[in-house]
Amino acid sequence: MDEDEGMIVCRCEEVAQSEILKAIEEGARTVDGVKRRTRAGMGLCQGRTCRRIVSKIIATETQQPIGEVMPSTFRPPVRPIAIGVLANEKE
Amino acid sequence: MKDHPIWGKRDPIRKVTLFLNGKEMQAFEGEPIAAALMANGIRVFRKTRKRGEPRGVFCAIGRCTDCIMTVDGVPNVRTCMVLVKEGMQIKSERV
Amino acid sequence: MEQRQVVVVGCGPAGMASAIAAAEAGAQVTVLDENARPGGQLFKQIHKFFGSKEHYAGMRGFEIGTRMLKQAEDLGVEVWLNSVVYGLFEDKMLGIIQDNTNIPMKADRIVLATGASENALTFPGWTLPGVMGAGGAQTMVNLHGVLPGTKCLMVGSGNVGLIVSYQLIQAGAKVVAIVEADSKVGGYKVHADKIRRLGVPILLSHTVKEAKGKDSVEEVTLICVDRQWQPIPGTEQTHSVDFVCLAVGLTPLTELGSMAHCQSDYIAKLGGFTLTHDENMETTVPGIYVAGDCAGVEEASIAMEQGRMAGISIAESLGLIEKSAGEKKKAMIRRRLDELRGRPVFYESAADQGGPQSPTGGDNPFRKLPGYPSEERIQGGPVAVIECSEEIPCDPCAYICSREAISVGRPMTKLPQLDSEKCTGCGLCIPGCPGLAIFIVDKTYSPLEALVQLPYEFKPLPKMGEQVDCLDRQGKKVTEGKVIKVTNPSRFDRTPVVSVVFDKRFADDVRAISLRRKGHGRR
Repeated sequence: MDEDEGMIVCRCEEVAQSEILKAIEEGARTVDGVKRRTRAGMGLCQGRTCRRIVSKIIATETQQPIGEVMPSTFRPPVRPIAIGVLANEKE
Repeated sequence: MKDHPIWGKRDPIRKVTLFLNGKEMQAFEGEPIAAALMANGIRVFRKTRKRGEPRGVFCAIGRCTDCIMTVDGVPNVRTCMVLVKEGMQIKSERV
Repeated sequence: MEQRQVVVVGCGPAGMASAIAAAEAGAQVTVLDENARPGGQLFKQIHKFFGSKEHYAGMRGFEIGTRMLKQAEDLGVEVWLNSVVYGLFEDKMLGIIQDNTNIPMKADRIVLATGASENALTFPGWTLPGVMGAGGAQTMVNLHGVLPGTKCLMVGSGNVGLIVSYQLIQAGAKVVAIVEADSKVGGYKVHADKIRRLGVPILLSHTVKEAKGKDSVEEVTLICVDRQWQPIPGTEQTHSVDFVCLAVGLTPLTELGSMAHCQSDYIAKLGGFTLTHDENMETTVPGIYVAGDCAGVEEASIAMEQGRMAGISIAESLGLIEKSAGEKKKAMIRRRLDELRGRPVFYESAADQGGPQSPTGGDNPFRKLPGYPSEERIQGGPVAVIECSEEIPCDPCAYICSREAISVGRPMTKLPQLDSEKCTGCGLCIPGCPGLAIFIVDKTYSPLEALVQLPYEFKPLPKMGEQVDCLDRQGKKVTEGKVIKVTNPSRFDRTPVVSVVFDKRFADDVRAISLRRKGHGRR
């Protein structure tokens, strides 16, 4: 299966649905698991757009109810911020 | 929109000049860059790094980061959130 | 280090309501919002809201936003705009970025009112420019005055899909269809009726197979789905469009709460993972409260009530409100929340929901409703017909009639009842109904003609004497008519009322008109 083909799921990192399915086939069961194998959710929007879609794919493929698929952890910052700005702390 | 059923006629707002990839265009003061581009008929804001696919505005609210462009030298600027300024230089990546 | 007593993250209806409630009790409140403008989703809502007086029902969303903001500012609430809360850390510390400066802030109490984000639907071609969130299109159109295109396909028939479709048409775009994967419409019936009258088909059990175009969307292919949501091959239909709006639900934005280790639960009905909270709107982390869509996607009116609850609970916990006074206020809010959610609240004993019955059923689906006059009364002179058949929390119609001919009572989900003897057919109720579901029918206009007064929220307005097409409830032209009056005083709040005269045989069908000329231009 050519990984560069097919419908995109993660818009930021351009990860195809076929790659996500492959990751699940290889044992990924959580959104973080798929993220680590495919980079889906690691891009600029930090999974804000694809997180739910990936959860749904995992739920369907592993036949779990979607509420039981572990969502990804939320780490700061929750918005894209340049490192220089984070370092520019007000006294 | 010239005359909207709820908003009515737009108050005359100051115009500003922007530059998209060097080309001059008009915008209204106080609007986000993305709105100005769309009003000028621009729908493709960039092409993606891996597949070279066109992207434009998707969420319009600063979350999806699809509308990012390089503005005044700063990359990855969410054009749907940042308001236009006179003389702004906007560059679309890989277009 | 900045220190505050109460910090509210998000300046939408929930955030503002909690700020107002806490400030009213004497708390020092600071509201933070990442946007340049406050008001959350309210500022792009140009339609009249539902609910009751406490929720500013009948007012347009952006006006509710302005009013609440003023109330907050008058109470001394500090509002920081363009301020991104990028993190919520131990001990109720917030990380804020404002003007490229990182500002840590400690708070005694925090309200998370961060709202929800739009879901996406994937299909081949969904990344093409022109495919966008319906809320995103709404922002572009209502807030920035820019149409994303001229011909749209709307995906999703929930309230967002129905309302945004209507607003796109108001702005001058064409909506070729609304597709809905389910076998029934998701949003309120009055919103669906409004859009059907404009001739927009709602294709149930349909979804998008793919979108195609060179550099942006040029066409979409739709396909039928069966009861298991599986596409049925051979049922494709292709439409030429230049933008596609996705109105496929919202998911609560629980990021900050989760980061601070607030527990969340998956509740499908509320949009997914929501921050767990008690009746006081407090999360599992003491001192952190939630309100609005991030506690579960519901309605603006519910967001306001939850905000009030959080604000009052916080004031109580800070010792600013005495317990018994606080309990009374909270009980009122709980009652209103139950009412808004449709749970029966018995203010009086089993109220009679019936009303004047029509002797003949006919094929008019609204004839048997308590808001519909009898045929005898209709034949007697102009009278209001209230085509509201769904129990939703909404009652502004009960306050607008100067003769008190319309009543709703409590719970406000009850269907409006029309006292047709009191009604003179003056038409004042027409612009007051947020669902635009009230009309005046006059079968006595002339021996062969009837007159219907209807709401018309489009530009250009018809001119006196103009010949127009008269449409039925499905937007189909059934006859032609003449406009004899257009009423648009400022107290109608931008809902002009058009009086049109046509062949009397169609008096029970005509509920919309279409002008024969084009009027809109793009910016």
